[in-house]
Amino acid sequence: MSESKSKLSLPVVGEVDRRTAIKAGVATLGLAAWAAAIKPWFEWTAELSTEEFLQKHYRELTPAQLQQVLQRLTEEAREATGKNVTVKDHKPIPGVQFAYALNLSICIGCRKCAEACHIENNHDRPSNQSYIRVFEMEKGGINFEKGNAHYHHAVPAKDKYYMPVQCQQCENPPCVTACPIEATWQESDGIVVVDYNWCIGCRYCEAACPYHARRFNWEKPQVPPEEINPNQSYLSNRLRPQGVMEKCTFCLHRTREGKLPACLEACPTGARVFGNVLDPDSEIRWVLENKRVFVLKEELGTKPRFYYFFDK
Amino acid sequence: MVILTCHPARLPRAAALWPMALLCVWVGLGQGCSRSPRPQEGVPFSRAGASSSPYPVIIREVAGPPEIATGLLDDKGQPVTVGCATCHSTKAPNAAARLGEPLRDFHQKLAGQHGSLSCLSCHDATDGYASLRLADGQRLPYQEVMKLCAQCHGPQYRDYLNGAHGGMIGHWDLTQGGRVRNNCIHCHDPHAPKYPTVTPAPGPRDRFLKEEGHERK
Amino acid sequence: MNAQREAVSYLRFLRQALHVATEGGWLFYTWMFVLTAIALVGANAWAVQVRDGMIRTNMTDHVSWGLYIANFTFCVGLAAGGVMMVIPAYLYDDHEMHDVVIIGEILAVAAIVMSTLSVIVDLGRPDRFWHLIPGIGKFNWPISMLTWDIIVLNGYLLINLHVVGYLLYTRFCGRKPNPKWYVPFVYLSVFWAISIHTVTAFLYCGLGGRPFWNTALLAPRFLASAFVSGPAFILLVMRVVRVGTELPMHPGPSRLLVQIIRVAAVVNLLMLFSELFTLFYAGGAHLASAQYLFFGLHGHYGLVPWIWAAVFMNLLGTILFFTPAALERSPTRIIACVLCVVGIWIEKGMGLIIPGFIPSTLHEIVEYTPSLTEWKVTAGIWAFGLLLLTAMLRVAVAVFTKEMALQSDREPSTRASP
Repeated sequence: MSESKSKLSLPVVGEVDRRTAIKAGVATLGLAAWAAAIKPWFEWTAELSTEEFLQKHYRELTPAQLQQVLQRLTEEAREATGKNVTVKDHKPIPGVQFAYALNLSICIGCRKCAEACHIENNHDRPSNQSYIRVFEMEKGGINFEKGNAHYHHAVPAKDKYYMPVQCQQCENPPCVTACPIEATWQESDGIVVVDYNWCIGCRYCEAACPYHARRFNWEKPQVPPEEINPNQSYLSNRLRPQGVMEKCTFCLHRTREGKLPACLEACPTGARVFGNVLDPDSEIRWVLENKRVFVLKEELGTKPRFYYFFDK
Repeated sequence: MVILTCHPARLPRAAALWPMALLCVWVGLGQGCSRSPRPQEGVPFSRAGASSSPYPVIIREVAGPPEIATGLLDDKGQPVTVGCATCHSTKAPNAAARLGEPLRDFHQKLAGQHGSLSCLSCHDATDGYASLRLADGQRLPYQEVMKLCAQCHGPQYRDYLNGAHGGMIGHWDLTQGGRVRNNCIHCHDPHAPKYPTVTPAPGPRDRFLKEEGHERK
Repeated sequence: MNAQREAVSYLRFLRQALHVATEGGWLFYTWMFVLTAIALVGANAWAVQVRDGMIRTNMTDHVSWGLYIANFTFCVGLAAGGVMMVIPAYLYDDHEMHDVVIIGEILAVAAIVMSTLSVIVDLGRPDRFWHLIPGIGKFNWPISMLTWDIIVLNGYLLINLHVVGYLLYTRFCGRKPNPKWYVPFVYLSVFWAISIHTVTAFLYCGLGGRPFWNTALLAPRFLASAFVSGPAFILLVMRVVRVGTELPMHPGPSRLLVQIIRVAAVVNLLMLFSELFTLFYAGGAHLASAQYLFFGLHGHYGLVPWIWAAVFMNLLGTILFFTPAALERSPTRIIACVLCVVGIWIEKGMGLIIPGFIPSTLHEIVEYTPSLTEWKVTAGIWAFGLLLLTAMLRVAVAVFTKEMALQSDREPSTRASP
């Protein structure tokens, strides 16, 4: 039992005896068991590319690197869907800050906006995901405790009004403050975006959001190739990877091209008003100046860019 | 200039009382306001003068005087329709009529649910119902129906002119593209203008959400 | 020359430590084998979760944090609670405490490792972990509270590793530790222990959109409960060490810990009562989560059994700690410790994290029960933490009993020790 006399030999390499050999054997077995246990991890990482793993933060990419990334994403999307997908990068338009207003007197709760969002933004089909949740509210107050997002009857129902809620694109966004790695930030036009290739999926932003506006990809979103919207943008509706956050981007792939957001176009009653709040002649300015608008949870100091108003 | 066409499929279900082809007209753009996309009051159906916005706002127009199906089919299987004057040129107008029911022919299914208005409040009997009639007796072509609606629905018309009422598609930024807007009667049946109840699109399918617990009576 | 000798003897320390940590009787081997097996089950469940997505858990967009973050919160408290041995030992120079303070520090190391693991398994994209590393990633400091938490947790881990490692190593060498090299760190660790739990509380109470957490009392409550669960856990560990090894244990430190627990448990219950009074007497929208937690809301009662079990355990544990028997080496003390540890695990975990999400910010009620994957992973983390704790304690005991020393270089015996 008296092995390893102090000979000032390299201390790491002691003499080998039976006991040590058994230990080494058990350690080897342990390592093998460990490797077997985490095998699914390697099945998963096999599908990830090195370029994706090493990709820098969106805002640190040089224009040339960004082009490479877009090309890679385009190729990956084309390969995966067999469709002529294009992933572009849409930068904010200088001198533009977006705002949105919603007329609660007109909204009938038909969920066409939520449906349009679902299609436009390539949302997961099985969960019928959408950035918009429409709440059926009881007249007499703005009380979500009496609200219900799961109504199935003909709308509008008697004594109810309807409140679609989506990302409020806060001027003071708690989600951005929460993120430990700047994977989500506010752009100059007011839109809060997520870099899906940078997010680590800690979901602190989701806990921080007071409006239930953020969505997590609990698994890889499933969209049949034939239903994919091929006009995609890096920061908005491209196919999201598994395990990252996503959120409403005011359809920046549309709105930064001057188009109206998909939810507005889908609205059959014209309850939605969208535009550049810096333009004094814009419709949104007219609404803000002439209607008695309010924001959700004003007391939290988040300063939403999404306004609600009643006509009567 | 880009001529925009209508996309009826993408626009909400119109009242479809007059199933005629839809036309598009240029609509007035703000004079003075370089970016204003608002149709100016009084000129919403006529093409206005020059505007610095390269792209227009177009209001989907409605067709001219309505025609009524006779119930017959022509050689090609298309329904045969007739204009109002076919009958009304020889019939005396019934000033009291408010609903379709008291009328003997053609009009029975008309749902007259528009306040206390009677037929002749809006239809001009003096030219065989080929025009509309403003409150002051002035004749108004069917295409300009919005002006008729605006007589009573001022706030809605004001909101409409300012882009805060009525569905639309296209661009918020008119320097980058045009916009197509609905006419009043695309959403509101003039004879029963209350927006109809609809079946909503499917709601969210959240995991673990027990709906019966949340759905209240 | 000196440095070289130092390096050699340090490597020798590490080698002997590795040797000792894998030596023991059949009870020790069985214990380690079972823990390894559970850890492997947990590792496998986690790898599957990474591959298939977090859909393997029962978390949702409504309840976006669950068992993992609950366990994280508790483990941070456990780590912070270890400091309750350091304060009497160093601030009040209690010499009996000096000998056992290392147990508290070892527990802190194991608890920090467990809490870090609990966060890592909660990440949707653990492959992007490097984004968190300052310098090469993008560390949103000082804006994000989460970055503060990462700093204080890792700092606490390093401080404790240093103190534990230094004290054991000098003892191994037969030298008297140089106070210059560890006393400042000991004092630092006192403040740091309080900071880790305060910052962890700030993670939650800094969120204005979650009224259940948005209370200034959260951090003090965290600390009070940590000063119950931490010492209670240490008492359990000390009992195991006393029964299972030859290390002589004085009754003094344990008594002091019981006294600390008595005060902290009462303060904890008082603050809990104060919180509940404010919520229930005033009522209003802020009440919904507490209502759901304690009495159920709109026909949903998911957490009611949990919280009442926790309340019952905490109350009974506190009462038992106040019996004279708790000051002796009695079964009462052990039962009281177990009751308080489990009670606080529920209260701070399932009872604090989950109701923050129920009802949701838009007042929807989606309930949450951990999935099998979550239980497996959490059990795996505990098994790994206990494995680490056992190995470190084994080394510490070996050093203290001179079973492992540089001078004699006596080969460690193979006596049983759990």
